[in-house]
Amino acid sequence: MNIDKFYKKKQGEQYIFALALGLVISLIMVIWIVVIILSRGLGFFWPGEIVHITTKDDRQYLGELWTEETRKEHTDSGIVKINNTQLKTGNRDVYGIDFVWINNATIKSSDKPEFAVVFERKEYGNAYGYISSVQIGDSNYTYSEEKIISIAKKAFDSAQKNHENLLDIQEQINDLLAPLTRIQREISLLEFKQNMLTPAEKKELEILKSKAVTLEQSISAPYQKLTDKLAEYTEIDRKINFTLSLADDRAVDLKASKIVRFYLPNQMNVFSKSVHYISKLWELVSAEPRESNTEGGIFPAIFGTVLMVILMSIAVVPLGVMVAIYLNEYAHQGVIIRAIRMAISNLAGVPSIVFGIFGLGFFIYYFGGSIDQMFFSDKLPEPTFGTGGILWASLTLALLTLPVVVVATEEGLLAVPRANKEGALALGATQWQMIRKIVLPNAMPGILTGIILAVSRGAGEVAPLMITGVVKLAPAMPFDLTFPFFHLDRKFMHLGFHIYDVGFQSPNVEAAKPMVYLTALLLIAIVVALNLLAIFLRNQLRKKLKTSAF
Amino acid sequence: MEIIPVTEKNSLEQDNRSVKRNEVVRTENLDFFYNPESHALKNINLSIPGKKVTAFIGPSGCGKSTLLRCFNRMNDLLPGSYLKGRVLIDNKDIYANGIRLEELRKKVGMVFQKSNPFPMSIWENVAFGPRVNGESDKHTIEEVVKSALEQADLWKETKDRLNESALDLSGGQQQRLCIARTLANKPEIILMDEPASALDPISTGKIEETIIELKKNYTIIIVTHNMQQAARISDFTAFMMLGEMIEFNDTKTLFTNPNENLTEEYITGRFG
Repeated sequence: MNIDKFYKKKQGEQYIFALALGLVISLIMVIWIVVIILSRGLGFFWPGEIVHITTKDDRQYLGELWTEETRKEHTDSGIVKINNTQLKTGNRDVYGIDFVWINNATIKSSDKPEFAVVFERKEYGNAYGYISSVQIGDSNYTYSEEKIISIAKKAFDSAQKNHENLLDIQEQINDLLAPLTRIQREISLLEFKQNMLTPAEKKELEILKSKAVTLEQSISAPYQKLTDKLAEYTEIDRKINFTLSLADDRAVDLKASKIVRFYLPNQMNVFSKSVHYISKLWELVSAEPRESNTEGGIFPAIFGTVLMVILMSIAVVPLGVMVAIYLNEYAHQGVIIRAIRMAISNLAGVPSIVFGIFGLGFFIYYFGGSIDQMFFSDKLPEPTFGTGGILWASLTLALLTLPVVVVATEEGLLAVPRANKEGALALGATQWQMIRKIVLPNAMPGILTGIILAVSRGAGEVAPLMITGVVKLAPAMPFDLTFPFFHLDRKFMHLGFHIYDVGFQSPNVEAAKPMVYLTALLLIAIVVALNLLAIFLRNQLRKKLKTSAF
Repeated sequence: MEIIPVTEKNSLEQDNRSVKRNEVVRTENLDFFYNPESHALKNINLSIPGKKVTAFIGPSGCGKSTLLRCFNRMNDLLPGSYLKGRVLIDNKDIYANGIRLEELRKKVGMVFQKSNPFPMSIWENVAFGPRVNGESDKHTIEEVVKSALEQADLWKETKDRLNESALDLSGGQQQRLCIARTLANKPEIILMDEPASALDPISTGKIEETIIELKKNYTIIIVTHNMQQAARISDFTAFMMLGEMIEFNDTKTLFTNPNENLTEEYITGRFG
């Protein structure tokens, strides 16, 4: 018998192959998800080429090449392959739709016009066309295509500047009127009571009224000045316009102040495309959303997600660690503790929507309602804390992730060498001193593991948030520069919910698709970043502890 | 852990075999149970003199470590265990009500079989005891740390690296650090549970030198299963078997002229 045969007879090798196959399948699926999200998401901001298509029946289309597909169709003469091209033609205000499918067989000619322009607008999505004339003030410019572009750029810049000034003036007017508005609100509150006013309140009303009159007089001159200026800027704003000629030679007027940016993709080289790409990416992470979330940035959602995760960690980590320490170090290990431990582990398996409903009932209606009764009764029936908000959503998620933190911390506590605990006690330390100085520092890697798991779980949760305070478009962020800076009663935006909302609740799903991928990408990036931070901290700690117990 | 007090009558019975001496630790009719089925110590009566080294020897599982751990109540940590009889240190029953465990353990220090330095710097390891016992004056702590390290013969090796992790020390150094850590508490009694069993001969020799040096100021009770070690460093030796105290005498007598047959058989290596 030769030795090769001997080896072939060995049992078990095929199972190793099966195990490896399982790993490979899992890996392929994970990589697939990441690749799809990356390719679909990151490609979106790269300016595509604009084509002008004339069909055989003389219809004109101008737009961005989106996708192509091949379809098989059954006809009398058998199966025929049909190639279609999808074009993003934009101009929703004119055509009513953003995309068209064109059968390649019907195309007569297709070219890439050098002076085709893409306008990103604040409303109605993109516009595609050629600039035919520019109006600045009372003069109208109509030049050759090349020259008109530079004039358009100038007009756009001055329109932007003017718009900024306009907003500035509006803000100044608001600031000026603010004290008067406040007094008037107090007056109307008192007048609301009418006959039920006490003499003291009547007197107060008189004082307020006279105050309002003097204030009105004192601010009337600057107010007049500001409104004049406002009118001036509005007039300028009104008079900077572009006239576009669309593919079918229709003329469309476009106000310069309604434009976010415009560019000529067919003239752009790789460098200017990169610049465009980076500025779009920056807009995504830093700006507010537009067009029911399908355009613009998702900064409020990023901020809401991160703030919520931080609030959740602040709530869940101390609580979870306290629970774990009591269970592990103080409690008498008997049937009850075993039952509690099992209940905590099982809590991790409860569907998250159940936590959401609990949060709604307990935190919002019971807790928030009581807070409103006690401290904000003057605003009722308008709820302050008795409605969904970032605080309640965070607390709900904290409850959801509590078992994860408790279990991980308990594992960390168990990993603390018994010899070290005994050593501390033998030196005259009390149980608490021993826990604080020996057990907790040693269990820190375990606690951090708990935080990592909780953050990963919490950041991706959507269902419980939908009933505890997430909204598709928050009017104000939970943090701003007015006292007390953090407004935890406010509703907030969240990347996970954003994916659902943009992808499945949007009026313009086709245009929103890349946004879904990008949002998913950002959510993953945030979770990975938070995890990397925690892992980095844990490794630093482990290096310091350097015991073999972990 | 439960403590069952002995009756008055039992406590009056005293073991008078031991030599007249300045007694520091005394046990009276001490019985210890890990649980009702496992009777680990059986009616131990013992009188341990001060400023001497007393060694406990005996085969594995004879209860010598258990007895040692009764002296600083480390056995309290074991759920389900209980104790009968009395342990007196300086004539005070340490299992009586109102005894503060922290003070007892400060007075009765312990060095474990496996060195267990905390994952902190050398300095912080030694300063741990004084700190948890309420010393906050930095200057005092510094002096205490220095003198403890000197007594444990570790100062010369570590004075330049006090802020380095204690886990970077060698095995023997770590065990001497644990001795220093115990000394920093200024105990009266030091319990040592096979302190050199995990060390090489040179480190063991150093530990033994340290112990002999420490004898001048401290009462030392050491558990060892190395009979040569007991013979080298101890003044008195107790031989235990199956939870019973077979013989307790001064070391020379016990090793050269034992009273009991079992002792003789053990020290001559016929079992164990």
